Amino acid sequence: MPFRALISPPLAGLAAAQRLSFQRIRGRGLRTTAAALVLSGCSGRQSVLDPAGSDAQALFTLFVSLLVGAAILWVAMNGLFYWFTRRSTGTLPERSGRMLILFGGVIAPTVVIGAVLLWGLSLLPDQRAPGDGLTVSVLGEQWWWRVEYTMEGVEGSVVSANEIRLPTGQRTDLRLTSDGVIHSLWVPALGGKMDMFPGRETRMSLEPVEPGIYRGQCAEFCGASHAWMAFMAVAMMPEDFATWLEAEAQDAAEPQSDAARRGLAVFQAAGCGACHTVRGTPAVGKVGPDLTHVGSRLTIGAGRLGATLDNIER
Amino acid sequence: MTDQGHQTNQDRKEFSDEAGSLWRIALAPSVWAGHFVLCYASVSLACVRGLLPIEATRLSLIAVSVIVLVVFVWQGWRAWRQWAPERGHPSALSEGKAEDRHRFLGHATFLLTLISGIATVYTTLPLLLLEGCR
Repeated sequence: MPFRALISPPLAGLAAAQRLSFQRIRGRGLRTTAAALVLSGCSGRQSVLDPAGSDAQALFTLFVSLLVGAAILWVAMNGLFYWFTRRSTGTLPERSGRMLILFGGVIAPTVVIGAVLLWGLSLLPDQRAPGDGLTVSVLGEQWWWRVEYTMEGVEGSVVSANEIRLPTGQRTDLRLTSDGVIHSLWVPALGGKMDMFPGRETRMSLEPVEPGIYRGQCAEFCGASHAWMAFMAVAMMPEDFATWLEAEAQDAAEPQSDAARRGLAVFQAAGCGACHTVRGTPAVGKVGPDLTHVGSRLTIGAGRLGATLDNIER
Repeated sequence: MTDQGHQTNQDRKEFSDEAGSLWRIALAPSVWAGHFVLCYASVSLACVRGLLPIEATRLSLIAVSVIVLVVFVWQGWRAWRQWAPERGHPSALSEGKAEDRHRFLGHATFLLTLISGIATVYTTLPLLLLEGCR
């Protein structure tokens, strides 16, 4: 197993995330089972219809209201059409006809569109509200994500890649930018999406409510591997998150077994360090993703493959 | 002045009135378009280029919106009087007389002013609800 050296002993974060995931599945079991019978395919870790963050919940409520409103309008319009073409085919008095046009064609659409516009706009400030101290800077690459955590009042930062961990119950700032082409960061279960532009910084913030593992996806076509440009967003209880971040800030663990030591030797001999950084080793490349604690991540290859030894070996 | 000369002068006056009406038809949509471009351009200059202070820009644009809406109310009132709906719906007066054309232009101007006003309110809503560049 040549790359075993990269795999730190399972960190608190991985175990906690998996535990939380199971709790989430158990806790929401009844609700999701009932919903699944009616709407199979609407739930899941990458669904706007299964919100797990306050922003996603607000958007979900808006979506459902629009959907119900559209359905009511559709039925009403078809009902009117049916009524006036099949049931009441006589002519309307001119005054009634004019009132119908004035109300149905001018006043009602203006009020409805105005109300929806007001509602939609009133949601926007919350989706970009300032965070509670933690900032995650994400830089989009073709086709992966550089991730860096900074905490207000704490010096230094923690660099990672292709996975974003967030504490629940608090708002985290996301500062987004890109290298080369435009990407867009979207974790449907947690909130709206935000484009990432080369040479510009855009901001959003997320407030996960339910701990769990969600899938994020690049939402702006960015080249051949756009569809594979994903990541896991792990929402953790604040104390679990603090433990994880502390562990993540450490250098890679010393290889403990023969296989792990051999893996480190192969990693160094093959020149992997020219592109990748593994903190605590001579590997300091900046071209590819930072691989420190890569073994504790849930996926490799920007969400493409599960983080199993077989996949890493490939 | 002969009858014929009098007639020509009256025709000229009517023609110039109707030409003015044609200009007034285009006024509201043009003002809306100008307001729209002004809003987008100044917010871009403030938020993307940082050339203008956003709060002052926002408040100035809201003030411009209020002025635009006042102009629309005045314009709408003039158009309403020209249309004179109490004298019957224009569709009932489609004999192509000068009077019909005059009222039709008022009717069209009124509706365009109304829709331009609604559009201006919609353009202004983000200025009222979104306070900064975030």
